[in-house]
Amino acid sequence: MSAVDYPVDEDEQTLLERIQDEPGPALKLLAVVVPLFAVEFGAVASLVMSLPWSAVGSALPGFLQGLAGALAGVGDALANLPTLLSRSVIDNSGYQLPSGEWVGTTLGLSPAVAWLLRVLLVYAYGFAWMAVGWWVYLVYRDNYRYADWAPVDDMVNRFRNHSWGLLGLAIIFAFVVLALFAPALGPTTVEANISDPYLHTVEYFDEEAGSVQEIYVGDANRDSQSRGQGGDNVGPLSYDQFGRFHPFGTLPSGKDLFTFMAAGARVSLFIGVLSLLIAGGIAVTFALATAYYKGLVDLGVVIASDSIQSLPQLLFIMLASFVLSGTWLANLYSGGVVLALLFGFTGWPGLWRAVRGPALQVSEREWIDAAKSFGQRPSVTMRKHMLPYVVGYLLIYASLTLGGVIIGVAGLSFLGLGINAPTPEWGRAVSAGQPYVPTQSWHISLIPGIMVVIVVTGFNALGDGIRDAIDPQSDVGTGQQDESAAAGGGA
Amino acid sequence: MAADANATGVDERRSSARQTQSDDVDAAESADDRLLEVENLRTVFHTERETIRAVDGVSFGIEEGETLGLVGESGSGKSVTARSIMGLVDDPGELLPGSSVRFDGRELTDLTEKGYESVRGSGIAMVFQDPLSTLNPVYTVGNQIEEALSLHRGLSGIDATEKAIELLEDVGIPDAARRVSEYPHEFSGGMRQRAVIAMALACDPDVLVCDEPTTALDVTIQAQILELLSDLQAEHGLSILFITHDMGVIAEVADRVAVMYAGEIVEQAPVVELYENPRHPYTRGLLRSIPSTQQGAERLETIAGEVPTPNKAATDCRFAPRCPEAFDACEEVHPVPVPVEEGAEDHTAACLLYPEDEPRKAAVDRHAAAGDEDSPESAGSTGGDSR
Repeated sequence: MSAVDYPVDEDEQTLLERIQDEPGPALKLLAVVVPLFAVEFGAVASLVMSLPWSAVGSALPGFLQGLAGALAGVGDALANLPTLLSRSVIDNSGYQLPSGEWVGTTLGLSPAVAWLLRVLLVYAYGFAWMAVGWWVYLVYRDNYRYADWAPVDDMVNRFRNHSWGLLGLAIIFAFVVLALFAPALGPTTVEANISDPYLHTVEYFDEEAGSVQEIYVGDANRDSQSRGQGGDNVGPLSYDQFGRFHPFGTLPSGKDLFTFMAAGARVSLFIGVLSLLIAGGIAVTFALATAYYKGLVDLGVVIASDSIQSLPQLLFIMLASFVLSGTWLANLYSGGVVLALLFGFTGWPGLWRAVRGPALQVSEREWIDAAKSFGQRPSVTMRKHMLPYVVGYLLIYASLTLGGVIIGVAGLSFLGLGINAPTPEWGRAVSAGQPYVPTQSWHISLIPGIMVVIVVTGFNALGDGIRDAIDPQSDVGTGQQDESAAAGGGA
Repeated sequence: MAADANATGVDERRSSARQTQSDDVDAAESADDRLLEVENLRTVFHTERETIRAVDGVSFGIEEGETLGLVGESGSGKSVTARSIMGLVDDPGELLPGSSVRFDGRELTDLTEKGYESVRGSGIAMVFQDPLSTLNPVYTVGNQIEEALSLHRGLSGIDATEKAIELLEDVGIPDAARRVSEYPHEFSGGMRQRAVIAMALACDPDVLVCDEPTTALDVTIQAQILELLSDLQAEHGLSILFITHDMGVIAEVADRVAVMYAGEIVEQAPVVELYENPRHPYTRGLLRSIPSTQQGAERLETIAGEVPTPNKAATDCRFAPRCPEAFDACEEVHPVPVPVEEGAEDHTAACLLYPEDEPRKAAVDRHAAAGDEDSPESAGSTGGDSR
């Protein structure tokens, strides 16, 4: 054996070094990502600045106060940067002169068209990010990954051939974009239309007076109510008498249903994701611990999970949220946080049961014994040698459970529990429209109801798709298609 | 030879550390100079129907630098013995009280899981049967060796990688610098087993427990791995417990051989002695049933019947139903390991035929008496004394 000074050869390079060697594709990617991010930088900055920094600032010692103040000034300036998706880029608020001409909207477009354009712009932007995500995967796979092939490639291919899963992905994409860009998507904003209607005004052309008048939104809303048979009605895709366009019509209170729905999507998504993070975290920790230690630990968790599962979940959450109402916890995010906590802490047994099997399976593998045999610590063994086999399953069941949480939150809000008014939540819209279902104001209940169904179906379809994609044994019925795609498409 | 010098440095440090440790031990109990001492090991598995005594009173010891071969049919308790030594017996298995595994003068059966972690790897490391399932398929081979390195030698980053390459070279993997960043599926069977051995060596153990390390490999690779093990043993001064069902393999690697049957060691002897002069009828049967390519070979002999699953304490010879030389007492007296004849202290057999140079009845009584001492629970039922 010679004293070789082991050269670091090509295969051992880190990702960074491989990128330095061949910067072309990465630079191209960067050239797209940076502008894409830059056009919305102001929104990100304002999101950051909207966090309760003043609490942090006052806690700082004196000599840092000045620095913090300067930072806050910079932050505010950044937050005020113009963004591509701000409402003013394509403005849809204005009034119509008797001549039919629109004043105040961008380019004099009608509010409906302006709103539609903005929606298209927002979705195009969202789609661009999704495309970039796909592109990053391709660039990484083809240019920078050490391995020519990895199991994830097969998973991606199987998913691409899974039409039901793709449908789910499309629905969830639409839902997530609706939630993330809710303020830009609505024809009006939550503040102006729903929470503080008497602090905002709209202009309209009063034909009797023959001039442009200003009116409080709250007063305007009273004339744009949807109250079914005999009452007023502003249905889907129609204007009210103040020149405001309502894509989904209005609520019985005269508020805009689409704005309400978009903001409600945000709340649903927040509760769903937070509760799943809690439930998933607990489930995975317990699953790994029970699979590793077995015996008493397993028994303990079984008893705990069975006890929780024996509670009627919704009933328990109703009771708990009633008990907790009025506390500071119930005021966080209009009660969203407490709902997320409740759904998380009552929802983990289902997830735990789903991942316990795979965890037990992997705990029996010989490499676990091998890791033990060279003295590896239990926590590292669990994290490094067991966790990767469990997360896939967690992803599937998390996706399936998310739909359930959304239904649950909608159900609670329908019953008047859950999210406090006036924060929008889908279930409350269903509830508000309930008396008008058989009338011409059917849209109030039906649209949110159908959207809940679609979104939940979407999450289930996505979960199905991921499950079939992860499981190499599941031939998704497109085996031949798979081969021909592999043979014909070089992507 | 910078790399080698480094390795030797580590070795020296380790052995000097052990030296001081064993000095202390010597002061306490001077009789025992064996590195690993297993005494009266009983590992049972509780099932719903019965309690399986997978290992039932096994005793052996391994000296420094020695290879002990543990041989027996499938189901005779070889692997359970190995796992008991490593402390890897999971529920519903348990070591019965009275079992003792001493490593370097330290009793291992009393240790908690936490305490065992300090022995595993740096003290005793294990090579498993199937190299493919021993390696985690989602990490590179290098990554897994480095995991052991960081745990036992505190190496990380480029140092760990270099050491891993060195270890892979030590176990004879060509082009190790490239191979270190490959995944287990890119390795051939033999190379995987070499990588697993490298992983065990990364912990710098004193004792290596090899549980059928060559069973999953074809014959030529088998020979290479055996050669590698003996080279490494010479280089690192390893003690090896080598488990196999293959009498041919054992002849090649072992210094001493222990033959296991139904959870017990039935014969123990230096390797040459065992092959030239097998005493226990079971060992003889085993040696006769090795296939050979010699001319004129008749139909291969087999031992009729199969290994029983012991589920209660032995009151008779467990091999008696299959034994061609069984006599009446075999069904009533449980034999204990005794020297096969006067003066042959290193060749023991648990069979009523021995010691050979004593009268039969005296020998049987000796077994019966020893058995009563050993396991009081069986005292009433043996009835050996009465005859």
